[in-house]
Amino acid sequence: MNLDRVLAIARRQAYVLQRAPQRWFDVVVWPVVDSVLFGAIGVYFGRQQGAVAASAAFLLAGIILFHVVFQAEVSVATGFLEETWSRNLLNLMVTPISEIEYVAGVALFGIVKLAIGVSVVSLMALALFAFEITTLGLALVPLVAVLLVVGWSVALIVMGLILRMGQGAEIMTWGFIAVLLPLSGIFYPVDALPGALQPVAEALPTTHVFAAAQEVVRGRPLPWDEVAIGAGGALVLAALSVFFVTRMLATFRRRGYISRHV
Amino acid sequence: MADESASAMRAPVLEARGLVKEYKRVRAVDGIDLRVDAGERVALLGPNGAGKTTTLMMLLGVITPDEGEVEVVGKHLPRERSAAMEQVGFAAGYLPLPERLRVSEFLVLFGRLYGIRHPQEVVEQGLARFGITDLARAMGNELSSGQRTLVGIIKATLHQPQLLVLDEPTASLDPDVARRVRTGLERLCAEEGTALLVTSHNMLEVERLCERVVFVSGGRVVADGTPEGVAAHFGRADLEGVFLHLADGDETPEVDTPEVATPEERGREAS
Repeated sequence: MNLDRVLAIARRQAYVLQRAPQRWFDVVVWPVVDSVLFGAIGVYFGRQQGAVAASAAFLLAGIILFHVVFQAEVSVATGFLEETWSRNLLNLMVTPISEIEYVAGVALFGIVKLAIGVSVVSLMALALFAFEITTLGLALVPLVAVLLVVGWSVALIVMGLILRMGQGAEIMTWGFIAVLLPLSGIFYPVDALPGALQPVAEALPTTHVFAAAQEVVRGRPLPWDEVAIGAGGALVLAALSVFFVTRMLATFRRRGYISRHV
Repeated sequence: MADESASAMRAPVLEARGLVKEYKRVRAVDGIDLRVDAGERVALLGPNGAGKTTTLMMLLGVITPDEGEVEVVGKHLPRERSAAMEQVGFAAGYLPLPERLRVSEFLVLFGRLYGIRHPQEVVEQGLARFGITDLARAMGNELSSGQRTLVGIIKATLHQPQLLVLDEPTASLDPDVARRVRTGLERLCAEEGTALLVTSHNMLEVERLCERVVFVSGGRVVADGTPEGVAAHFGRADLEGVFLHLADGDETPEVDTPEVATPEERGREAS
């Protein structure tokens, strides 16, 4: 791995964020909207009799952690999409950069975007609803790590779909995350879902991470068994996503799909 | 010593053997062999749909051939693609510059991707070579098509590649800019010993720039030789005549000229 190439790609992504105001929507506007929306819902339900569990803290912890997956996934997927939107893919493919170096560069700057996005949602939660995510303590470290792996894995799947299907697949950048949101039990226990969806939810690594986070919000110790299941699932998802994007890249080269991007 | 130098100049920087590519049962490339030696200036010509761009993309590792093999500066594709691309530059007249980068930022980015540790100085030299130093701070989307082409060629030559591949470099350029491109390329090839493989529909320009032309039609090489030799081979006054002859769907030469090699003959010469 050539670090100069990785840093060059990260720098290129920084220029895009610096010069494209619309790219700030994902990292600033969504976090603000989500923190206001779920914080207000939490406050409202918290005032209802017998609805103690659905407090603002419960929902805000969920939405802050959800933004880890969201920002990790969207930053990498839109980073790649930027190359297709600006028809820069061919320019990159004829340089010595390897696929791993490219993804590492985009993911590296993605961490910066993730830090901005998660900071915004955390600060809004603190300023508007006096909720401090750091009260989760060191439990945040493994939870964030697993969610980061899930976010990047989904981004690789989206990249694979864009390689295979062209720019039309860009909707999946936000679409996959929108599907994960209700199925991961972020704001409610999985048994609140329709019965047919519960096995699907249980199979998602995110569900176990959010279940673990909810335990910590309730003041209980971090359930490491849930974290372990989440981490195992995230590693399986990562392996599958690498396999998928590698296959899609091979198909892209074999079928000459570069013609869609010039 | 002189023999060694001459031998190095004759060494191939690009060798493709038996390239075949089929798209949905249409054979876009049908057994192309191509060799470009160090310092050689070669044009790959043919009507639209002849298989030129698909061939170029296979030579660059962007498209995987169904059959055949490609070796660039002694590196096999796709296994050694990254190492091979360190010695190859590519630019195409149809490629835009990324909108959100200044010209100098775009060139520095690609300089780093090509492994140049301190690209700023090389970027300034490149801009000076093509007389566009004033564009360094312009945004990619502010450039005319001619300026974009020049910046694309500078990008492709920053790392002093052994092989420069240009797809339609002067398409839609006015004669003045086209001349600057040609002059810059001639100087580059002379000074650096860079080999050139270029596709173009401008036959006059090809006659001025290239010492060898390879005509492709129906996915196959139909002629390979000097511009004058190929024109004579088809009984035409110039390459434009050959082009129109092939565009009409006729691949049959009208005159038998021994100096124009068939692909098989070139293969035997090479070995």
